[in-house]
Amino acid sequence: MTTTTAPELRIFDYDTYAEGDPATFGLPLEQYRYLRDEEPCFQQEFDDPMLIDKAWVVSRNEDIWEVDRNTELYAADRGYVNIWQVVPIDPKNGGMPAMLTTDGERHRAQRQVLAKGFTPGFVRKLEGKFRQYAKDVVDDALDKGTFNFVHTIAHNMPMEALGDVLGVPPEDRVKFFGWVDKFAAPFDTRITASFDEVMEAIGNLMVYSEELAELKRREPGDDVMTRLVASGEGGEPLMSPEEIMGNVALLASGAAESTRTAMSHGMHELMRNEKAMAWMREHQDNLPPTVIQEMVRIASPFTHLVRTATRDHELHGKQIKEGDIVAMLFAAGNFDERAFDRPEEFQPDRIENPHVSFGRGPHKCLGQHVAALEMKILFEELFQRTSSIEPAGPISYVRDAYSRGVYELPVTVTPR
Amino acid sequence: MKITVDTDLCEVHGDCVVAAPDIFDIGEDDDVVQILNAEPGEEYRAAIVQATKMCPVAAIKIEG
Repeated sequence: MTTTTAPELRIFDYDTYAEGDPATFGLPLEQYRYLRDEEPCFQQEFDDPMLIDKAWVVSRNEDIWEVDRNTELYAADRGYVNIWQVVPIDPKNGGMPAMLTTDGERHRAQRQVLAKGFTPGFVRKLEGKFRQYAKDVVDDALDKGTFNFVHTIAHNMPMEALGDVLGVPPEDRVKFFGWVDKFAAPFDTRITASFDEVMEAIGNLMVYSEELAELKRREPGDDVMTRLVASGEGGEPLMSPEEIMGNVALLASGAAESTRTAMSHGMHELMRNEKAMAWMREHQDNLPPTVIQEMVRIASPFTHLVRTATRDHELHGKQIKEGDIVAMLFAAGNFDERAFDRPEEFQPDRIENPHVSFGRGPHKCLGQHVAALEMKILFEELFQRTSSIEPAGPISYVRDAYSRGVYELPVTVTPR
Repeated sequence: MKITVDTDLCEVHGDCVVAAPDIFDIGEDDDVVQILNAEPGEEYRAAIVQATKMCPVAAIKIEG
């Protein structure tokens, strides 16, 4: 009989991800495997004033589906979003309420106001505009020749696309997404020098979202901000001022950073993987959705989110108490051999792909269709107009255990 | 095969439209998903089963 030796578990250490192995998508896959096989409901304790005290960590794909879908047992509205103590959208800890921190009827009400700006039908309308952004972004990349993919390509595309969807005026977009970058990476001093900067960025974003709300009341547009400030049939606003601020912060951070992350990890893997690169070249005129979903899987842009148990219960032999925090370790669930055929391989034509990067329950990513369209169009444009895309240096990762940002991905492109 | 959607649950996530675009659609002003074909042929079963599985709020039911 063989026994599994426990690897040193550092699944929530910033440096695990900052120093991740590029050959395993920057992820501690061995630690994840150990958790899934040996400790599928693992008690993680933290000793850091910036973080929560402890959490039960679920890591199997099927369990993450269950926790995410069973909002009656695993509530999103009892405080905390991830392992951080302070999150701008956590009303239990000084933040503003948003969809992700609300359950039940109020969640549904907010979601229905916003979802219309993100449906597949609405998103299809944006294709022409997205193509133009992709063209501009690739023009810039071809001018430069060698550049940091994360900034030149993966940053600008979501910024413009999201700017359109949300209704952020073009001249404000750099400022707006700059604040988001600060609070999305609070522990990487290359991005955010101190925690004061994080709080300042959150404050600026909240103030700006009120200004933007005022602008949309005066000059409505075909965008999400206009929906946020709209009134219902009785003339009552659909969202409270706090919900408006919270949801702006939620949408901005969910949107810009995660799409950039998915594109960057995807591009990196393509350059490492000749077969996948050749597959992309074959399909560059019309990329199938499978490759986009596969990029989203291996990127796992957010490693986890947390919920709160609403009553005592047992899971995998562990006694979870009412009020305990349960963390869904998406990044581990995305590599579960119980759910995926050869999960450690990047397969651009993977059909059966129950990844949990977007979540799987009522809180599922609102922007999933926008993100998928942005990525498809951007990669089509980039591949169609280049004859080669080569690494120009090593990848480096953002120092964070929650958002899986890529800090630098140097590439050289050769025009066709 | 008969398809029904619990419209009290539907939050227009759109996963069903991606999984089975011939059966489900969400137009610009729809509050809930629209069923384009409520009694489709067997050839659609795989896509509809996928849509049912993917629906984040489990609003879709297949009878028969």
